[in-house]
Amino acid sequence: MTESNPLSPMKARITEIQQMTDIEKLIKLRFQNKTDASNFKYMPGQFIKLGVMGVGEAPISICTSQSDEPGLELCIRNAGRVTKALHNLNVGNTIWIRGPYGNGFPMEAIEGKDLLLVAGGLGIAPIRGVLQYALHHRELFGEISFLYGVRCYDLMLFKDEILDYFRHGDEKGVKLYLSYEDESDKVCYDLSCERDDRCTQGMVTKLFSMLDSKSNNSVSLIGGPPIMYKFTVRELEKMGFQPDEVYMTLERRMRCGVGQCGHCIVGTGKSIKYVCKDGPVFTLWDAMNTKGMI
Amino acid sequence: MTESLYKVITKEELSQFGYALRETGTIYAPVKTSKESHSFKQVDTLTEADLEYHRTMIPPKKFFISPKETIFTFNKEKEEYNETPAVNEPLVLFGVHPCDINALNLLAKVYLESFTDKYYSERRENTTIIGISCTPDEYCFCKSTGTDYAREGFELFLHDIGDRYLVRVGSLKGYNLLQKHASLFREVTEEDLSLYRQAEKKRLASFTKSLEMSGLQDMLDMSYNSPIWEEYGEKCLCCGSCNLVCPRCRCYDVQDYIDLNLNTGQRERKWYSCMLKEHGLVAGGHNFRATSAERLRNRVNCKGSLKEDMTNCVGCGRCSAYCPAGIDYVEILQKIRGDIE
Amino acid sequence: MSKPKLGIFSLTGCGGDQLQILNMEDQLLDLVSRFDIVDFQEGSSRKVDGDIDIAFVEGTVSTEHDLKKLKEIRARSNVLIALGNCAIEGCIQSMRNGETTLSERLKDVYGVEEGFFDAKLSKPITEYVDVEFSIPGCPVEKEETLRGITSLLHGDSPPYYSYPVCVECKLNEYPCVIVEEGKPCLGPLIRAGCNARCPSLGLDCIGCRGPVEGAENFAAEYQMLLDKGYTKQDIMNRLRVFCGELGDDFLGGGDDE
Ligand SMILES: Cc1cc2nc3c(=O)[nH]c(=O)nc-3n(C[C@H](O)[C@H](O)[C@H](O)COP(=O)(O)OP(=O)(O)OC[C@H]3O[C@@H](n4cnc5c(N)ncnc54)[C@H](O)[C@@H]3O)c2cc1C
Ligand code: SF4
Ligand code: SF4
Ligand code: SF4
Ligand code: SF4
Ligand code: FES
Repeated sequence: MTESNPLSPMKARITEIQQMTDIEKLIKLRFQNKTDASNFKYMPGQFIKLGVMGVGEAPISICTSQSDEPGLELCIRNAGRVTKALHNLNVGNTIWIRGPYGNGFPMEAIEGKDLLLVAGGLGIAPIRGVLQYALHHRELFGEISFLYGVRCYDLMLFKDEILDYFRHGDEKGVKLYLSYEDESDKVCYDLSCERDDRCTQGMVTKLFSMLDSKSNNSVSLIGGPPIMYKFTVRELEKMGFQPDEVYMTLERRMRCGVGQCGHCIVGTGKSIKYVCKDGPVFTLWDAMNTKGMI
Repeated sequence: MTESLYKVITKEELSQFGYALRETGTIYAPVKTSKESHSFKQVDTLTEADLEYHRTMIPPKKFFISPKETIFTFNKEKEEYNETPAVNEPLVLFGVHPCDINALNLLAKVYLESFTDKYYSERRENTTIIGISCTPDEYCFCKSTGTDYAREGFELFLHDIGDRYLVRVGSLKGYNLLQKHASLFREVTEEDLSLYRQAEKKRLASFTKSLEMSGLQDMLDMSYNSPIWEEYGEKCLCCGSCNLVCPRCRCYDVQDYIDLNLNTGQRERKWYSCMLKEHGLVAGGHNFRATSAERLRNRVNCKGSLKEDMTNCVGCGRCSAYCPAGIDYVEILQKIRGDIE
Repeated sequence: MSKPKLGIFSLTGCGGDQLQILNMEDQLLDLVSRFDIVDFQEGSSRKVDGDIDIAFVEGTVSTEHDLKKLKEIRARSNVLIALGNCAIEGCIQSMRNGETTLSERLKDVYGVEEGFFDAKLSKPITEYVDVEFSIPGCPVEKEETLRGITSLLHGDSPPYYSYPVCVECKLNEYPCVIVEEGKPCLGPLIRAGCNARCPSLGLDCIGCRGPVEGAENFAAEYQMLLDKGYTKQDIMNRLRVFCGELGDDFLGGGDDE
């Protein structure tokens, strides 16, 4: 609990910027104030409000898992006013942060389980944190499978990491599956030739046929654009996942991030949820109880 | 202490009490501002107030969350910002109705439960709320929502029982206020009690509008695809008035402004409404509530949902009374219930 | 870094929007010092050819000459901003479009046949070219224009109002003139940004800032006013003044009666 205005941000400085694709940058930053840094405890799936003074703030997933190293990594798509301003910043510039917000993925509650991670497009940002966490605590989890769907190689995020998992994941304890939509994509095509049991042309849902059958002790964690959920959930249901074994992170318009401003509202009289505060991670069971979620 | 928490004050002496309250803080009370509207305005004496009012157009939440406010000013070169200091001037809100008191209680939960909003809590601490009983008009249905009685969230509550008020104490601060002005108040007599019984009977009998609440949340859920939303969505002007006058709505928007020097500027917070087109719009152009029907459905569902066993609507009637298109919230829900065609 | 090149141009119109920029007395010097002004008819006689970073264009296209000038400006400009409602929706100059033809009007006014002038039916610039942004108003608000320019300098886009006048009306606690007096207020359709100037005086909004982008509620407003006893003619006359041909479009064209 903060004893001041929840809309007051903390100061951070950009330490590194990587252009990941034409429209996405990885921004690394570090808090300016030591207590801010040491108080900042987060779980994969939580997000921050990232701000540029004079333009505004945007909710951005923390795409790492908490480690001893101070600092945060954010993968930011240039999608509008604030994100454009974020893209215009340079190493050394100040940036303003509030958070961490939201519930995040329940990493402790799912210890001991097999993990099926599914990410589409920018949805990899929160899922990357989950993967890092699970690999960091590898002994706490069972099998880890990771399905990642991209439009084409150029739009693939975290390319080096993904290719590394693709080729050497099995040794590190994660099986990576890759799908790509663009039929003319040469690089992805080569990958699919390299391992046709791990890479295919099509939507991310096409990768499900490559999976072993569901173990009776597994959960699925999904991140992706709204339209991906419907189709992915259908596949998961076919595999036998129960509604409380599927966790997904949702996106809505957000202003405050703390359950006040109402923009991220979803649901009906029976169940109203605020994605920023009650989510952004919900189970399929939550979605069944809250109309309009997916 | 065995002091009774009920007292009586005559209407004549009330103005004296009002006068004395100026020591406690600046007094705001309902004042008639136009044909159909009242507003909580600063008054010097209670004679300026209209204590028989039905409702103010803008509810007293304006004292706790300003319609427009600067959260902080910033200086980019200095890499710093300065929060706007909370207003510390003590206020007396005189003549607040039970629906509005209940609405403030729920609003406080939103603003204080997970993250303490410094401004909200400081403003509440600096405010003395004096409630007053009321007579319903054709828009009021607070009896249905169970919010026609204020249990807490006020200092003193005045029940009009003819030529005098029965005074109910709602907080220690209110108790101390009574002690301070003890000479204006007297103990409750058997006669006062019987006047109170009569007044309550009369008040309860004068409601003309009502809405059954049981099962409403389920009915709303099952009416997600009902044609009702289209029917009213077509009439709706998407003007936002219903939300902006609602004592329970809390939606706000935040915007930054930069000065011409490109260095200083401010971040502002403003009331907002889910009936406005961009409430659910995200970057890239997807709108989670693109049509007026979807937005109206969201509004009615939000208001019809429960927050700790109390509906998010306190039955004040403002949204219906001030809708330029004449859309009646209760009528929509009566249709959802199947009570009317 | 060199200063951005700014041009402020007028087509057919009253020049009121340029005047509003000149009226920003307190900030004007500071403002112009941040730009290299290549064209500003009302402010300076200096004219420089070549590329422009930011061009503001006010007025409607009402002559062939206007159209030629507009296309030239577009070709030279990186960012083109429609300044004021003439440029955005056609405003008063376009209010009779769809009602009378150009030749009828020329005949009425000058008693001559079409062809004498190079006149065209008045249309907003947005009919002919793409604009990056627009700053509404008849005339534009000084504050909003300044904020728009400042945001551009800041690398951001100008703030805009996606919601109607009613919001400002309620935030300021002005009584609603539809609810209380049955006046034909256009506030629900019209872009906020004037701080509900007319309702603040107890007057109904006549729509001078033009309709909210993608306003989907023309039909609702129309029906509401019909129910209050206004005739179709009353309502259409009102809508046409500042909403250009949009009013007609939303109601499915200037059909029957
Ligand atoms: C929980 C969560 C996590 C996210 N994580 C990431 C991430 O890791 N990387 C990333 O690139 N993007 C992420 N997004 C999306 C990102 O927040 C939007 O792209 C961003 O807000 C767009 O803001 P803008 O000002 O650039 O766009 P504009 O279109 O100019 O939007 C204006 C304002 O609308 C609101 N808004 C618009 N789109 C969204 C949106 N999708 N979600 C919430 N508010 C929105 C914001 O308040 C924004 O300031 C996330 C969104 C959510 C809800
Ligand atoms: S929904 Fe309407 S009746 Fe209910 S509290 Fe809000 S304004 Fe009052
Ligand atoms: S979502 Fe709508 S109804 Fe709910 S609080 Fe916000 S403005 Fe009010
Ligand atoms: S006040 Fe009436 S017209 Fe305006 S948004 Fe609400 S329901 Fe629609
Ligand atoms: S007076 Fe006009 S602008 Fe104000 S609320 Fe009523 S309709 Fe809207
Ligand atoms: S972002 Fe404000 S309530 Fe969720």
